Amino acid sequence: MSDDQTGSRRFRRTLASVMLVQIVTLVVLWLLQRHYTS
Amino acid sequence: MHALNWVIVVGWLAYVVVHGIRRSTGTKELSGYLQANRSLPWWAVGLSVMATQLSAVTMIGTTGQGATDGMRFVQFYFGLPLAMVILGVTLVPFLHGSGVYTAYEFLERRFDAKTRSLTAFLFLVSRGMSCGTIIAAPAVVFSAIFGWSIAWSVAIIGVPAVLYTMVGGVQAVTWVDVKQMILIVTAIVAVTITLLVQIPVSPSDALHIAGATGRLRVFDFSFSLTNTYTFWSGMIGGTFLMLSYFGTDQSQVQRYLAANSVDEARSSLLISAYWKIPLQAMVLLIGVLVFVFYQFERPPLLYNPAHERLVRQAQPAAYGALESRYAVDVGARDAAARAVAEARDHGSDAGAASAMQVYRARQAGVDTVRTEALALAERVTGQPSRDVNYIIPRYVLDHLPIGLAGLFIAAVIAAAMNAISGELNSLSTATVIDFYRRWVRREAPDEHFLIVSRVATGVWGVFACVVATYAVNLGSLIEVVNRFGSFFYGSILGVFLLAMMPGSRALGAFLGLLAGMAAVGAVNFGAPSVSFLWHNVIGAVTVVIVGTLVSAAGRLAAVASEQHGAPRRP
Repeated sequence: MSDDQTGSRRFRRTLASVMLVQIVTLVVLWLLQRHYTS
Repeated sequence: MHALNWVIVVGWLAYVVVHGIRRSTGTKELSGYLQANRSLPWWAVGLSVMATQLSAVTMIGTTGQGATDGMRFVQFYFGLPLAMVILGVTLVPFLHGSGVYTAYEFLERRFDAKTRSLTAFLFLVSRGMSCGTIIAAPAVVFSAIFGWSIAWSVAIIGVPAVLYTMVGGVQAVTWVDVKQMILIVTAIVAVTITLLVQIPVSPSDALHIAGATGRLRVFDFSFSLTNTYTFWSGMIGGTFLMLSYFGTDQSQVQRYLAANSVDEARSSLLISAYWKIPLQAMVLLIGVLVFVFYQFERPPLLYNPAHERLVRQAQPAAYGALESRYAVDVGARDAAARAVAEARDHGSDAGAASAMQVYRARQAGVDTVRTEALALAERVTGQPSRDVNYIIPRYVLDHLPIGLAGLFIAAVIAAAMNAISGELNSLSTATVIDFYRRWVRREAPDEHFLIVSRVATGVWGVFACVVATYAVNLGSLIEVVNRFGSFFYGSILGVFLLAMMPGSRALGAFLGLLAGMAAVGAVNFGAPSVSFLWHNVIGAVTVVIVGTLVSAAGRLAAVASEQHGAPRRP
């Protein structure tokens, strides 16, 4: 497999995990607000 | 501060300088000095990109903002991941693939020299001044806390950073950034854990107390052009700001141009997308926890010790009366906060709700006395007395265990050095590549440009330190500079967007840039309450519309002149 293909695969994989981390972070922040802000 | 804390701070500064200079190997040619011969791994570039934008203001100002205002500031960064993804598939391949040293060099290849020179000039003016303010913010705090002169505070932060940046170029900057990021994250995690141990109620009770004062309110879904901290301002305005900053600002672009391939460059940007929001939330959470900590420990009436001394000397009776009221109100609030925790521990919802109401009333009483004390300080000193930047340093020095305080102070200095070293490196690059080599001396041996780059780094470093030294007395000028920066940030993004559109022409880009800045200027003076986040949207959209129309008019004129047999312009 060429370096280009490896790099592109890593980029796509990183991109997917970035989106996952953002969604998890936003959900955690939303739960924090919802649970503790009265 | 305890001697061991000083040993940690001085030891870290010495390590950073030695490490930076050792990393200067391989910088005997211009490409090595400015781009590390495009050899840096993506993770190092990514950490360096994050380090450059994490300044001392983040460590002391943002944490302080968490203590006074809560978590809502994090919305400012909501657009960042999206911006990183957009840049990864659009601008980064263009810039990295074109083999340029600076983002502005790319604009001359695509358009013309005047567009390149104007954008590079705007970068130098705004970044040169902002570099000074980056040093000034922590220097003023250190000066007030430790009693140092401003010049000495500036030197402690500025001199090591100038030294290793001047000698080692982008390699030194990147590798030192990596080490300093490790220190900063370690300090943030260590302080968070310490706070959780120090607070005398459970973490859940602590969060309930913080939540009762609205400090855990993160999301504001209202749509407002005047409020910077809303979900929509962050998502729309923030995306444009981050696109401008990471896509067109040489201090960021230079980092990822040093990566060894397009994929490594865009992967490095995604590290910021990964960590920025969680890291920023954690920084704000430290502030929130410090607020909770001070519910059970008597906080200073004025956090700025220099102002406290002056007010005590000038108005001893008035300040004494405020201190007496403060002691009573803080004591009552402490009791109310403990009552909230006890009611919750006993599982009584009605009791907890009623205790919470009492607590809120006591907190309002404390806030009233603080507001009066800040107003008194403002009358006595003649300076703005907002002391948000002093909350965390006072907590660190008064309440953190020996060793950890030194670690945190070293992390604040590290954050300041990261930010200025990246900026000095990029200021030097733009000066040499976009002006010296373009307009003064086009042909010369590589060693000559290398020497000029080092000299330029040193000169910008001295300039930044001088600006920082006088920044205390230049409050309004600094604000003007910051506003000036927001005039053109979005407009420069617009020019780069035009550069990627096939039909755009040089005249369209240049006139679009002027129109974008004029539009932002008109909004700024006509409707000053509009948040600066929206300036980026207005600037970029205006440039693209005007640039496209002028380019289209140019193409039509060319076709018309061809049809009338006029000679075609080259």
